[in-house]
Amino acid sequence: MTVILLQGIYHACFGLSYLVALLLELGRLARPARAWRATGLAFGIVGLAAHTFYIVVHKPDPATPSGSLLLLAWVLALFYLYGTIHYAKQAWAVFVLPVVILLVTLSYALSRPDTTSASLGVPTWVSGERFWPSFHGTLILLATVGVSVGFLASVMYLVQARRMRNKVNPGQVVPLLNLERLETMNRRALNIAFPLLSAGLLLGSLLLRHNHGLTDNWLSPKVLSTAGLWVVFLVLTYLRYGTSVPPRRLALLSIAAFALMLVALGTAHPFATGGAQ
Amino acid sequence: MNLRAIGCNVSSASVELREKLAFDATKLARALAELPARYGTEAVVLGTCNRVELYLARSEEEAPVHSPLIAEFLGEVHGVSADDIRRHLYEHADAEAVRHLFRVTSGLDSVVIGESQIAGQVKEAYDAAQKAEATGPLLNVLFPAATRVSRRVRTETKVADGHASVSSAAVEFLRPIFDTFTDKTVLVIGAGEMGRLTLNHIRELNPARVLVTNRSPDRAATLAAEYGGQLIPWEQLDDALIQADIVLSTTGAPEPIVTRRRFDEKVRPRRGSRTLVVFDMAVPRDFDPRLHDGDRVSVFNVDDLNRVADQAAAERRKYLPAADAIVMGEVVKFVQDWNRRKDGPVIGQLTAEVDRLRESMVMPLLAKMKGKLSPAELEHIEGAFRLFQSKLLHGPIAALQEASRTGHSGTLRDALMKLFGLKG
Repeated sequence: MTVILLQGIYHACFGLSYLVALLLELGRLARPARAWRATGLAFGIVGLAAHTFYIVVHKPDPATPSGSLLLLAWVLALFYLYGTIHYAKQAWAVFVLPVVILLVTLSYALSRPDTTSASLGVPTWVSGERFWPSFHGTLILLATVGVSVGFLASVMYLVQARRMRNKVNPGQVVPLLNLERLETMNRRALNIAFPLLSAGLLLGSLLLRHNHGLTDNWLSPKVLSTAGLWVVFLVLTYLRYGTSVPPRRLALLSIAAFALMLVALGTAHPFATGGAQ
Repeated sequence: MNLRAIGCNVSSASVELREKLAFDATKLARALAELPARYGTEAVVLGTCNRVELYLARSEEEAPVHSPLIAEFLGEVHGVSADDIRRHLYEHADAEAVRHLFRVTSGLDSVVIGESQIAGQVKEAYDAAQKAEATGPLLNVLFPAATRVSRRVRTETKVADGHASVSSAAVEFLRPIFDTFTDKTVLVIGAGEMGRLTLNHIRELNPARVLVTNRSPDRAATLAAEYGGQLIPWEQLDDALIQADIVLSTTGAPEPIVTRRRFDEKVRPRRGSRTLVVFDMAVPRDFDPRLHDGDRVSVFNVDDLNRVADQAAAERRKYLPAADAIVMGEVVKFVQDWNRRKDGPVIGQLTAEVDRLRESMVMPLLAKMKGKLSPAELEHIEGAFRLFQSKLLHGPIAALQEASRTGHSGTLRDALMKLFGLKG
């Protein structure tokens, strides 16, 4: 119970920092001022620093729902920081930070006392003894980063496309990346995530079969939802390259893929710490 | 002055109504022939994508032409119910009509404040009316004055500075859609002035290719040569649409040239998922507006561009007071000049008549007194009569000139003519 409470305090530290950064960013968009941006960025950096500190010290296990969501949130927080600095005039943070905050919240909600390697005293995610499982986890994590980037690009695309559909004066709204770049971003995220996910899934299934031989686990929610995600990616790839489906529909499907990914990440792993063994 | 400016613009009428009231060459010729014939007016018809206005002048003895009559006339020419038109028409009279024209020509009444295109369109409208012999003494002075005022406003204020025209507003819509332009193909349909102006702005984005097509290949060839573009036969419009990423359409076609059915059957299936942005600047519109989905096909019409340009115009609005002050000064000057032009003959006649009266009285007197008085004394008597004449006429002439300044010299002029037995 104490461990959970402590984790809650850690999560609250960086989660609230991100939340303040988001609120300040919204303030900046409502009433543009350098002070809003600088303060918001400072809170974002503080949140990321605390987040990084937690990951380095507590080494969350990527195979657990909490650990994987927290690591994904960390990567997206980096993405937020890059975008906020690189696209200073754009409403980047407004799209990325809510996802980061959501992932941090989910991570805490799904956390268990034994979900960190540090609590077990074994640095499993960098352990040479568990190289293949770690490699499998890394592939899946990178794929989820791709899915998340695709999701963010899709949400921004839908907002921008909605503006265009309603013929909103571009000069009177907060600037976003243009549709072409967002579509490219989504396409590249898919192109990168799909092979990684495929390789990660293949490796995971081999590990499941050879190292554990737990045939019942083939039907675990984790495996099924991840396989479902792979199928969604397959459909996305076909629709993108095999048909002329409008980009808006692809964006909606990318968002569905992200939702499915959250389900996959949130379910217990068949053979990892904290999983339903 | 008996002048009326009657019409509708983007503020008073929707694009649908303005489409219906658009003057093509045939309708314009009919209007310029019938307005003077039916109503005895001088007439200039100004038709742009943002406005349809009639400038009508009559002699002061006649009753002015009012908007209900013009609504009926427009309804008859365009086949639209006069009731549908009437409530959208505004009417400016005399000095206010002069002010309106000066403001329109200077771009102060445009959606994009200070836009320069309108000055050319006003001149074209006047030239067409002159060619049709529909203009007369008032409009032949008024329209050249409007051009001069427009030049003065643009050079003496910053109201026309920067890029805030309808044509440049197109670029504002392109930026949220495309990332790069060096791989894009621009298709220009029609060889209208608006297309040319917009192409000027889009060319600054360095598109890969420019295709030009038009019903009249000669004009398209000229435009293509001017912009280093490729001439596409009108019959290959569908193929050109398949290749295009950006379309500028400015034909004068009375009906849409690209219907939804035509696009869905012949163009869309062969475009893949590529984005197409259409700037339909024609009124009536060239593209079916239902093609717009904001995703694969975006269609922006004149009203959309107007809205975007509004923002840029906000900056120019800062200079509106200074520009309006110039216009007001010019209106006063024009009205005074116009009235003086009419008062001049009256003052001339009056002076001549009193001169004649003075001489008829002084000359016999001087002849009688010759030899009795010295030449200096005779000169003194003649001078006294001249002074009396000057003092006698000073009041009426000054009053007439003052009345001219305020534009109300008609009654006084008539009174003077009756009092002194002058002929009109």
